[in-house]
Amino acid sequence: MTTVVAFNIAREPAAAQVLAHGGLTWTARKLPPAEDDHAALSVSVALAGDGELIGVTLGQGDPSWALARGASQVVRISDVMVGDDDAATAAALAAAVRQVVDANLVVIGDSEHHPGIAPVLAAHLGWPLVLGVSGAATRGESVEITRHRGAIDETISIALPAVIAVVAEAEESQPPGMKTMLAARKRPVQEVAAAALGLSASPPLDPVRTRLPEVTTARLMGGDARQAAAELVKALRAEGVL
Amino acid sequence: MSGNWLVVVDRQDVGALGRLVPRGPVTALVVGDRDLAESVAGSGVDSVHWIEPAKDAPAEAYAADAATVILAAGPQLVAATPIAPAARAILGAVSVGCGAALICNVTAISGAGEHVEVESAAAGGAVIATFELATPLCVLLVPEDELPLAGPQVEVIPHPEAKPALIRLVDQQLSQSTGLADAARVVGVGRGLRSRADLDIVQELVDQLGAEIACSMPVSEDLGWLPRDRFIGRSGQQISPRLYLTVGLSGAPQHLQGVRGAKVVVAINSDPEADIFRAADYGIVGDLYEIVPALTEALASI
Repeated sequence: MTTVVAFNIAREPAAAQVLAHGGLTWTARKLPPAEDDHAALSVSVALAGDGELIGVTLGQGDPSWALARGASQVVRISDVMVGDDDAATAAALAAAVRQVVDANLVVIGDSEHHPGIAPVLAAHLGWPLVLGVSGAATRGESVEITRHRGAIDETISIALPAVIAVVAEAEESQPPGMKTMLAARKRPVQEVAAAALGLSASPPLDPVRTRLPEVTTARLMGGDARQAAAELVKALRAEGVL
Repeated sequence: MSGNWLVVVDRQDVGALGRLVPRGPVTALVVGDRDLAESVAGSGVDSVHWIEPAKDAPAEAYAADAATVILAAGPQLVAATPIAPAARAILGAVSVGCGAALICNVTAISGAGEHVEVESAAAGGAVIATFELATPLCVLLVPEDELPLAGPQVEVIPHPEAKPALIRLVDQQLSQSTGLADAARVVGVGRGLRSRADLDIVQELVDQLGAEIACSMPVSEDLGWLPRDRFIGRSGQQISPRLYLTVGLSGAPQHLQGVRGAKVVVAINSDPEADIFRAADYGIVGDLYEIVPALTEALASI
C-alpha cells in the first residue's frame, strides 16, 4: 500500500493580489499551502504508517513543503498550472496519482475555496470519497473516518482504494525548521511533463473580466459607548431579537 | 426534462434554486429521505429524481449512481451547493462523466443554450470574476438562505436501482451538549479580547442576554480559552440563532460560514475596516472594554 498526499493545488486568497479597480493577479511561481494542506499531510503521515508516502502537486507546487513533513518523494506535473476550473486541476492530479505505483489511498486538503477538486479527483480515479474529514485511522483494508458536520459527529468506514479530503481544525502546530526544510530539498522529485501523461499544458482557466463586489456595511451606531449601546438595544428590540 | 439540474442533499440546497430559475425549468436530483424529496417536489422544480440512501450508507456513497441518473438526461448545467459533502461528490462524478468544467463559489449564471456566463466570488470574495464557458457545465453555487416560494407539487421519480459504494456509516450522534444548536441568541468572541480573564465581562453580557457563548477558531484551538465545541465556523459548529453578537471578532470567511443562518448579526470591533462589518446588520466601532459593559447595562435597564 502506498499513500499519496496532494498539496499546493488550489488558488487560495493569500496568493491573490487584488488591484484598486477590481483587477486580480495570482502568484505565478509558487502557491502558498492551502489552509487545509497541513492537516491533510498530518493525516496522510499517520495513515501511511510504515508504508511509503508520496506527494503529488502541479506546476506552482513546492515539493520541499511536503518533503519536509514526511513525504519520501514528490511527483510534480511541472507545466500544468492551477486555475479556476477545479475539473482541470483534478484531472491533472489524477494523472499524477496514476504515476504512483500501488497507490490505494489519496489524502487531500478539502479546500474551502476550491471544493470541487477532491470530488473530481475521486471520480477520475473511480474511487469512493469522503469529504470534510477531521480524523482517520487504518482498519485492515479500510479507513475509519471521523467527521464533524454541524452538531453531528460521524464515524464512517471507507474501503480502499479511496480518496479522503481533510478539513483543518487548527493552525499547523509545529512547522518544520530551516534545517529540515534544507534537507528536504535534497529528496527526490519526479518532474513529469503534461504531454507525457496525455494532458494539455494549456493556460489555466482565467476570468474574462473581474470587478470589485458591491460592498454592504453594517448600520453603525454612533456617539459614546453608552449612546451607541442604547441605540443598538433600541434597534435590536425593533428587530424582535431581544 | 430540462437541461438544468440541481443536486439536493440538504434542505437548504433548495435555496439555490433562485440562482438557476432565470435559465428555465430545473430538474432536481434528491439524495435523502422521502420528506426531503416531497418538499423539493413542491419548491418550483420541473420534476424530481429521488435516491433514498440505506440507513448505514452516507449520501456520498451514491455519488456514482446519482451522476448516472443526471448524465442519462444529457444535462447542460448541473448545480449544487457545498452545504452537504455528498452534493459535491455527485457533482464531481457528473463533471467527469460529461467532461464538464467545474466552477466554484458561483453567485450568478446568465446566458442560454451552449454558452453561459458565470459570476464567481474569487480570492475569498474580494473580487467578482466573470467566466464565459460552454455547456455542459458544473457549478457549485454560493448557498442562498431564503427558500423559494412553494410551487405546484410535481412528480417524484424513485431510483431504487441505485447502490451505495463501499462507504459505510458506522456511527452518528449529536455532538452538542453546549446548547448552541438551539440558542436564540449567541455571543461570539474573537481575538480582540486581551486575556482569558476578560471573558468575564463578556459572560456578563451573555447572562444579561440569556445567550450562549461561542468563539472563533483561534480562541478555542490556539488560545484554549473556550472548549472546542464552542468554536463557530466551517470546521466547527454551525448555528442559526436569531441574534449573533460578535465581540472583537474579525469575521474571517471560515468563521462566517458557521453563522450563515443567523437572522441578525451585530459586530463590536475597534477596527472600522474589519470584515465583520460587511457581514453584520448593526455595528459599533470602538473599544470593546467600554462598549460591552455599556451594552450589558443598557440591556439590564429594559
